[in-house]
Amino acid sequence: MRFGNTIIQPASGDVAGKAAFSALREAWAGFSSANRTTGQANLTTLQRDLDKQNCPPELYGIIDSLKAIRQRIVTNTLLAGWTEWSICILIGLVVAGTVSSHLNIVLALALLLAVIGVAAITVWIWRNRLSTYETACRLDGAAGLQDRVSTAIFLSDSRDPLGMIQQQRKDAVARVAKVDSRALFPLQMPATAVHALVLLLVFGGLFVYRINHRAPLVSLLRSTARSSLVQSIFTPIVHAMEKDLERTIALVTLKPELQPDEVRPGEALPVADDLWQPAEEKAPDTKDAEPQEMADEHGDQQGQPKGQGNPNAMPPSDEQQQQGDPNGQPQEGKQSDAQGQQSNQQSLTKAMMDALKKMMSNPKDQQKGNQQQNPQNMQQGGAQPPGATESDKKGDSKGSSDQKQNASKSAGSGAGSQEGTKEMLKGQPAKPVNAVPDRVALEASGYKEQTRMRVDTETGTAHMATQGASPQTEAVINGAEQENIPARYRLYVQRYFEHADSGSH
Amino acid sequence: MTASVGTEGQKSNQPAAPGQPLGPQAEFLAEKMGEVRREISKAIVGQSEVVEGVLMALLAGGHVLLEGAPGLGKTMLVRTLAQAVALKYSRIQFTPDLMPADVIGTSVVQESGDGTNTLGFQPGPVFTNLLLADEINRATPKTQSALLEAMQEKQVTVAHTSHQLDEPFFVMATQNPLEMEGTYPLPEAQLDRFLFKLRVPFPGRADLNDILDRTTAGTTVQVHPVINGPQIMEMRRIVRTVPVAPHVQEYVVKLTLATHPEGRENALATKYIRYGSSPRGAQTLILGGKVRALLAGRFNVSLEDIKALMLPSLRHRIILNFEAQADGRTTDDLLEEIAGKIG
Repeated sequence: MRFGNTIIQPASGDVAGKAAFSALREAWAGFSSANRTTGQANLTTLQRDLDKQNCPPELYGIIDSLKAIRQRIVTNTLLAGWTEWSICILIGLVVAGTVSSHLNIVLALALLLAVIGVAAITVWIWRNRLSTYETACRLDGAAGLQDRVSTAIFLSDSRDPLGMIQQQRKDAVARVAKVDSRALFPLQMPATAVHALVLLLVFGGLFVYRINHRAPLVSLLRSTARSSLVQSIFTPIVHAMEKDLERTIALVTLKPELQPDEVRPGEALPVADDLWQPAEEKAPDTKDAEPQEMADEHGDQQGQPKGQGNPNAMPPSDEQQQQGDPNGQPQEGKQSDAQGQQSNQQSLTKAMMDALKKMMSNPKDQQKGNQQQNPQNMQQGGAQPPGATESDKKGDSKGSSDQKQNASKSAGSGAGSQEGTKEMLKGQPAKPVNAVPDRVALEASGYKEQTRMRVDTETGTAHMATQGASPQTEAVINGAEQENIPARYRLYVQRYFEHADSGSH
Repeated sequence: MTASVGTEGQKSNQPAAPGQPLGPQAEFLAEKMGEVRREISKAIVGQSEVVEGVLMALLAGGHVLLEGAPGLGKTMLVRTLAQAVALKYSRIQFTPDLMPADVIGTSVVQESGDGTNTLGFQPGPVFTNLLLADEINRATPKTQSALLEAMQEKQVTVAHTSHQLDEPFFVMATQNPLEMEGTYPLPEAQLDRFLFKLRVPFPGRADLNDILDRTTAGTTVQVHPVINGPQIMEMRRIVRTVPVAPHVQEYVVKLTLATHPEGRENALATKYIRYGSSPRGAQTLILGGKVRALLAGRFNVSLEDIKALMLPSLRHRIILNFEAQADGRTTDDLLEEIAGKIG
């Protein structure tokens, strides 16, 4: 390590520490002397104090004036610096006195900081105080002396063989005698003194308050926390947040169990009965339901155990396995629990149904899109999509959404809607959360005679032929179209069309 | 080419003694310059800044380039000044066919008294004290450059022989900024040899009325010489003794460097200036500041002197780039902005 001309080499023990300290000190001394030398080289008159003995007697008056001016400038600078520092200290004291319970420690610390700061500011300002020459420049600028005084100071130790410098000195002295330096450089309070005074008063009041009371901010926070107004504001918010959290947990738990319901080519279609259950039949106060379990239960009730009817389906959950049906056969004991869960899950199912209906109920876009995309369907006209009614035939787009509701109603009624307890099972253990696939693995070629559906590029917006649409022999749902459907809605969309397709036959 | 050689002025005043203290001499200088101003004002109406600049250049030992439209009294000013300072005066009308020999002189065959012929130097009109180079930008660069050595070295070289010019040698060139067709703009090297470039403004209403009164009434103005060549040389010596404070000199250095596009600290110069001021610009600022201080009755150069002389000293030493011309920027407003940024 090198500081200036001194090389510091690492060593061990006290000797190394002393050597390093001395080297640092020498480096600092060298740095300081180099700075002084550079300053003197640049401006020879930057010496702090002009030696009167080296000056001609005619300049004594100017030097005395400059000395007084410099003292005033230094005093004003010190006052400004101290005031700024005191403002910082007072702000800190006010803040600390507001929040801190240990005012004594704060006061002691503030006093220490104030003393250190004042000392540092004093030293700094004294070290960087104006030189006599710089003061003369200030005087020239303030009094409009056109650099007479500064030139005279600069030439104070110069010989004058030609007499021009003498003339210049006389001119400068004559001009300075007419200048009132006290008026030009008055002692004045800093502009921030008012701020400091206000802060001092604030802190004084706070200090008097703190003698018999504790920190006001802490007391305020405590009383605020206890107030009924805050309670009335925050309680509903907390309650709503809890509900959202439970719903989110239920939704996340639902997704991994949806995978067994994925339809593969040649497989029997599962019946998503509850999805099409009318909203009026569902309990309004149920929530946190798990629709997938409910669908599984319905499948069991219909005598189509997953283990038998769908050998490629995923195995049931661990909870179901513990309940003793590893082969997917229906059990009576399991049914009661499932009914309770079903009722709790209906609320979520309802919410999802609403979202699905909303997604699919853009009448204008549906009509326009179907007219553009399925002209053949328009021409065929005779066949109707599953669940279509007279409103669809009339081209009433609103009626299409209603029709879908009717279709859902009819599908729900025929798919094993069950009554169950509507109490939420809080003691139910959490389902294992598996990774949710971003894309549902569907093969469009496996779907026969399904309604042609066009999925718009906008996420979550599906367009279906609702006017003059006829059932098609092939599903045109391909991978590209499915990409535009959110993953959590794909199964329901798929089930919808599967159900409609089966209903038409 | 028109060249005329005037008569040497009368020596009405004795020059100050070299050993005499400079203080009284400085006061004498200020007094004499005041008299010159008054004499010039007899013939020249208004144009006080131009007159002041010409006098400062005369005392500083430099040359002046006057730029102004025709009829503004440029030639009249030079002729009046020559009469007021009692100096030998020559005028050269620069034309495209003017040759260098027509300016500095040439060697001709001269017949001596014994019947032998010898080559002798015939001095041109440049051998004078006060030379008026009228419409200098109408001559070819070759002829223009004939003045280079004379202006800087105060000598001319013909046939390997150098001939010293008389002191004081003071060139005042004029050029017309309007008629640029058929002109040869002065090269930068020659422009840099002019101490000041003064712009002669159009007179105001009052001055124009005064001009009409004086020039159409049939009255003649008699200008008396109030100072002579030796006095001017002594004044030049006095001028150089005026002290300059360090911060004033530092300001001059900053200002000069700020005109250079190479400096990273001045984005304005980097953007608009192709070439900045030469060191002669800084010398001009200091020297002109000294003269201005003495003429103002001061014995030191102040920052105000430097700022007042910035434009005539530096405007012809800065070359703007294409972007400045495209943006319509002039050297004067750029210099003002640069000086404003320096403080």
